[in-house]
Amino acid sequence: MAIFPTVFLPLLLLTSVLHCATADSDDLVTELLSLQSQSKSGIIHLDDRLISRFLTSAKPPRPYSLLIFFDAEQFHSKPELHLQDLYTQYSLVSSSFIANNDVSAASSLFFCAIEFKESQKSFSLFGVNSLPHIRLVGPNVKNLQDSEVMDQGDFSRMAESMSEFVESRTKLNVGPIHRPPTVSKNQIAFLVVIVLIWVRFFIKNVATKDTILHDWRVWLLGAVFVYFFSVSGGMFNIIRKMPLFLVDRNDPSKLVFFHQGSGMQLGGEGFAVGFLYTTVGLLLGVVTHVLVRVNNRSAQQVVMGVALVVSFWAVKKVVSLDNWKTGYGVHAFWPTSWR
Amino acid sequence: MLEEDTRKLSMADGESSREATARTLRNAFGNVFSFFILLLIGILAFSIRLFSVIKYESVIHEFDPYFNYRVTQFLTKNGIYDFWNWFDDRTWYPLGRVIGGTVYPGLTLTAGTLWWLLNSLNIPLSVETVCVFTAPIFSAFASWATYLLTKEVKGTGAGLTAAVLLAMVPSYISRSVAGSYDNEAVAIFALIFTFYLYIKTLNTGSLFYATLNALAYFYMVCSWGGYTFIINLIPMHVLLCIVTGRYSSRLYIAYAPLVVLGTLLAALVPVVGFNAVMTSEHFASFLVFIIIHVVALVYHVKGNLSPRMFKVAVTLVVSVGLVVCCAMIAVLIALVASSPTKGWSGRSLSLLDPTYASKYIPIIASVSEHQPPTWPSYFMDINVLAFLVPAGIIACFLPLSDASSFVVLYIVTAVYFSGVMVRLMLVFAPAACIMSGIALSEAFNVLTRSIKFQLPGSSGISQSGDTSMNTEGEQNDIAKTEKMDETAKERPSKKNKRKEKEPVVKASIRSRIERRLLVLPLEASVIAIILLVLLGAFYVVHCVWAAAEAYSAPSIVLTTYSREGGLHVFDDFREAYAWLSHNTEVDDKVASWWDYGYQTTAMANRTVIVDNNTWNNTHIATVGTAMSSPEKAAWEIFNSLDVKYVLVVFGGLVGYPSDDINKFLWMVRIGGGVFPHIKEPDYLRDGQYRIDSQATPTMLNCLMYKLSYYRFVETDGKAFDRVRQTEIGKKYFKLTHFEEVFTTHHWMVRIYKLKPPKNRIRGKTKKSKSKASSTSSPKRSGTGKRNPWH
Repeated sequence: MAIFPTVFLPLLLLTSVLHCATADSDDLVTELLSLQSQSKSGIIHLDDRLISRFLTSAKPPRPYSLLIFFDAEQFHSKPELHLQDLYTQYSLVSSSFIANNDVSAASSLFFCAIEFKESQKSFSLFGVNSLPHIRLVGPNVKNLQDSEVMDQGDFSRMAESMSEFVESRTKLNVGPIHRPPTVSKNQIAFLVVIVLIWVRFFIKNVATKDTILHDWRVWLLGAVFVYFFSVSGGMFNIIRKMPLFLVDRNDPSKLVFFHQGSGMQLGGEGFAVGFLYTTVGLLLGVVTHVLVRVNNRSAQQVVMGVALVVSFWAVKKVVSLDNWKTGYGVHAFWPTSWR
Repeated sequence: MLEEDTRKLSMADGESSREATARTLRNAFGNVFSFFILLLIGILAFSIRLFSVIKYESVIHEFDPYFNYRVTQFLTKNGIYDFWNWFDDRTWYPLGRVIGGTVYPGLTLTAGTLWWLLNSLNIPLSVETVCVFTAPIFSAFASWATYLLTKEVKGTGAGLTAAVLLAMVPSYISRSVAGSYDNEAVAIFALIFTFYLYIKTLNTGSLFYATLNALAYFYMVCSWGGYTFIINLIPMHVLLCIVTGRYSSRLYIAYAPLVVLGTLLAALVPVVGFNAVMTSEHFASFLVFIIIHVVALVYHVKGNLSPRMFKVAVTLVVSVGLVVCCAMIAVLIALVASSPTKGWSGRSLSLLDPTYASKYIPIIASVSEHQPPTWPSYFMDINVLAFLVPAGIIACFLPLSDASSFVVLYIVTAVYFSGVMVRLMLVFAPAACIMSGIALSEAFNVLTRSIKFQLPGSSGISQSGDTSMNTEGEQNDIAKTEKMDETAKERPSKKNKRKEKEPVVKASIRSRIERRLLVLPLEASVIAIILLVLLGAFYVVHCVWAAAEAYSAPSIVLTTYSREGGLHVFDDFREAYAWLSHNTEVDDKVASWWDYGYQTTAMANRTVIVDNNTWNNTHIATVGTAMSSPEKAAWEIFNSLDVKYVLVVFGGLVGYPSDDINKFLWMVRIGGGVFPHIKEPDYLRDGQYRIDSQATPTMLNCLMYKLSYYRFVETDGKAFDRVRQTEIGKKYFKLTHFEEVFTTHHWMVRIYKLKPPKNRIRGKTKKSKSKASSTSSPKRSGTGKRNPWH
């Protein structure tokens, strides 16, 4: 039952906190430190009671500042808010700050997070009505609404800009951000060994011309795939993080696959049109290079008929979709006498 | 143009001499025919780009071309040496700019040479005319280069088709209409021509072409920063050939001289200089240079030793080679890792990792031509070619040669890059044309053959034997003649299966011989041809429309159609620049937002503070700060920069949306980035940018607002802004430090003069003076601090 102490420690602390209402500021700092040590990244999870304990009932000047991240689990599913991304960045700043500073410096600023569902009262106390929202409560702040708000611009550039904000407002040094490497050292060593072994075999295979690289079909498939992916605006989807489709605002049961206006596209829309682009080309290629070699006359006729109908339909579809989406009126120029 | 392929029917069984003369005649006829087709393609490429001249006039477009035009003027007037050492003091006052060492000189030198040539032939064209028509001329060259390149890959028919497609591909038209005098205009030609010479060297193994290739590469380096695409694509192809076991001495000759000569030549261009050996963009070529030498050594040793000795040698060479390679790679990695951006420029990095720019470099990410394109962009820019490219890729794999593997690699990399940045659609377009040309030509080849030999009148099988002669993809002349002889010999009896001793030549011959019976059903072929022709017709309609409507506006002269169908021309920009050049002193300084810097120096010949070469952010921020400051502070900033006149562009009267008020937030942002007392929220009411009665006092008092809307109420009595669709917030005010000197016909450009500084010692009453001094001195120190130039 080793879990017990870790689970009950906060509760115990809480009760003790509530009992001694006149705890002096040193006690508050120790409490904060112990709360901090319980989370991996050093972020203290606040709720209404802790807010009143550390902020509203503690008279300024307090010996610490609190940086508070306002979180709401129900909005985690909304990709445009980037709440979870921001939280990871925030915890990076927090853990880097703790790692870069000794206890005396680290005990003057604490990174906290607060959840909307548990602590709606605190949200209204701070006057927070939109997310993402990060606030710095300095030592001298009396009214919580006067505390400083981190601008959109300050968390746009991820952890670095957050730490700049902290450094400029608190005169504390956050230091370099320690990002966890994407692959750990052991994994790197393992990969290097694998690559070294593989290179040996690979060179041998290349010398004997016996790898997957010597199969032209692989290259053909790869080339067509890259083509398909690019013309369908796949890069746009990745860079702009476009969803595959949207839910219609007026009618939630309906899905929107196509967006009007040429500056933007939805993921599904792009892939659908990219598929049409590629299909026509592939059919043409197959007819001219594969179908001619088929000896069966009727098979040729059937395949060609299908290919022609499909291609015609696909081109027509893309043209009409393009006209609908961009609204350009492409027209020919006829001699005036013909009118 | 596809008759070419079917035209070359081999002759019936007559005497060989008669056959030979007939064949030569046909070849000669075909060559003359293709020559005329190419001529027509050149004319087409040139004339489709003249819409801008016809619809507007022979004028240089937009912003950057004006700078190039001015540089060309300088070159033709002062000669090449002065151009090389040119320090321009009429821009970025008081800093100036070194022009000779910071521009890609290819375009300027090309147009300058063209002008000089025409003049020495006693054809007195002005520099401007030459500049306007440089881009269309080079588009014709580019389509001929495409013909040459595609011909090397898949034969004459494909070459001609690709050339005609490239002549009118919208993506290329957008950068090369008459008047669009920019680097890309000549660079695309240089790009295709360099690729052609590389393929030509690869097919022939001739050192002559290898040298030409290096020279073409030099021209490309002179012309455009996009040359890094070449110096990475060719090494990639070489590596691909080595890895797939296609190493040959031809490959070595095509690559090694290019790297050595090309790098040396590239380092001669001042703007590139030592970057040619110091930056990561070029490292791939050196790495492959090492690898190809190791491989060449291995092949050489293998040829000289017996198999057993070779095995011993292999272990030796491979181990030594690996050690050398590892050492070199380690050095390279150390070099690369020592620089903060890993030696890559931000733009290149954002190509490799598409999300890079959006994360770390907002300036690059914010430029509209660096956005990733959506699917309609492809349809707009390459139109139906998007449908044809996959067929071309398939054709290139059947059979795969060195040349066709290169174009496949080209299209794959180019299409990926175009997917990351819409601007690189320009590099992708030629590849798409080549691939579509191949696809169309092959399709027409098969379909016309199917019709020809199954027409009711002709006796199918007996005649179908005659199609053995095709002009596609000859690797070299020997193979071709062998083919001809053999097919002629063995045509009556089908004993082709017996002759499979020489696999290399035979394989292609066999596919050729088999094809004589390869036909598709007649009716379906007829329909398919009709559909393909319709597709081509749609392409032509689209391209002509794009050239005429979408890409021809010069943006220096604007036109609108009134409701009655009449044409209305707005020529305010040139009116304003002409006023400046006629009514101001030669050395007067004119301040404006950076967009109009190039045009002011080129057309008005006046010194500007900032221009479109945005190399000094602080300087731009100073101008932005002045525009966002109240009148007095702005006057002080401008006065400290010796500015006499301030030029603003205002579209509120005629509804011209890209005016300075709409760009104003950028001025605030850039100014505030350097001088923090300018804060964006001061100009926004509840996060909204507005200039009506709800606007903030800071906004209504800033210089840009005042200069734009001064006396605006006198136009209609209500001061209704037709861009913002609202009445402005402050209608009646006077200017204290500026005076209006000129406003153009449609009020699109307004020019103000800085009032001379007031005389300090004036015979005012003593008490007011003492009062003024006591109140104003702290204020002055305050404003003094704000002024970044004090």
